[in-house]
Amino acid sequence: MLGALRLMAIGFAVLTVVYICLSLYSRAVRRAKLEAEWDRDQGPGERDGFVHQGLEEYDGSLRRKLILGVYVVPLCLVALIIYLTNFA
Amino acid sequence: MFYVKWFFIIGFWSVVAGFFHYTLPQVDIVRVVNTYEERQELTDWTRIFWSTPDSQSTNINNRDVQFIQTVRANGRPMVYRNEDTGWHWPPYFKFDTANLYTEANDAVSTKENPRWFAVKHYGWRNEFFSSFPNAVSLWQVDGPEASKGIPWVNIVILTLFFGLVWGIWSRWRRFRISRIDPTLEELQDNWEAAEDAVQDQGGRFMRWVRGLGRGRR
Repeated sequence: MLGALRLMAIGFAVLTVVYICLSLYSRAVRRAKLEAEWDRDQGPGERDGFVHQGLEEYDGSLRRKLILGVYVVPLCLVALIIYLTNFA
Repeated sequence: MFYVKWFFIIGFWSVVAGFFHYTLPQVDIVRVVNTYEERQELTDWTRIFWSTPDSQSTNINNRDVQFIQTVRANGRPMVYRNEDTGWHWPPYFKFDTANLYTEANDAVSTKENPRWFAVKHYGWRNEFFSSFPNAVSLWQVDGPEASKGIPWVNIVILTLFFGLVWGIWSRWRRFRISRIDPTLEELQDNWEAAEDAVQDQGGRFMRWVRGLGRGRR
């Protein structure tokens, strides 16, 4: 069972790196989109305020929570392989 | 330089191909002849061809391994080992070694009255290193010419891998064209300019040296 713990520890470390990179990237893309939108329309309000508000909306959005799939998908994949190898 | 470059490129891709050929699942159509257990020494470098079924097995020097003796559809023998992969590499997460051993014993048939089975396995059979492919699962098929099924897992994994390689390669190429190549060219231009200047200088200096000689005469 120690092997399972080891795999989980290493997997968690690697996936955390992926998760952090992906969430930073996704936020940067959203910021660039908001800035482009404000530049096109020249409004509403101040540029910084508009971008800030848009990013706060993004923080609560489903899209951001979908990045948690980085953890969920490999976990499901391992469960599926264990089932198919041993019980199917 | 040309040969050195291609030596490394071909060497690298051979290692990658070997890795996938060893690790990805393959299917053989076989007739199971017998099963046996044999104590195996795990102390030399061929340890890499045996599994690590649980965490203790990294410390022990030898242990019993189950084998499945078969004859393939083409009449040649093939012996599989039957070991848990557990939570270790490669990620088959096989824990049902004892069950598979039971199935294999149940699948034994004679040459006169053969029953054919498909064996999913990974690994290589090598007589010199005493390495055996590890059987992962076993199911009955119609006959020696039966279909092995479409290898979806291999298709998906290899597609994803080559997609990743292509993505990294194209980004690296773009980066090299836009950043590294111009810098190198600039360096080269500067270097050539400096060389020209030095040569000019050298020419003038030599003229001055020669002039000195003339002056003294």
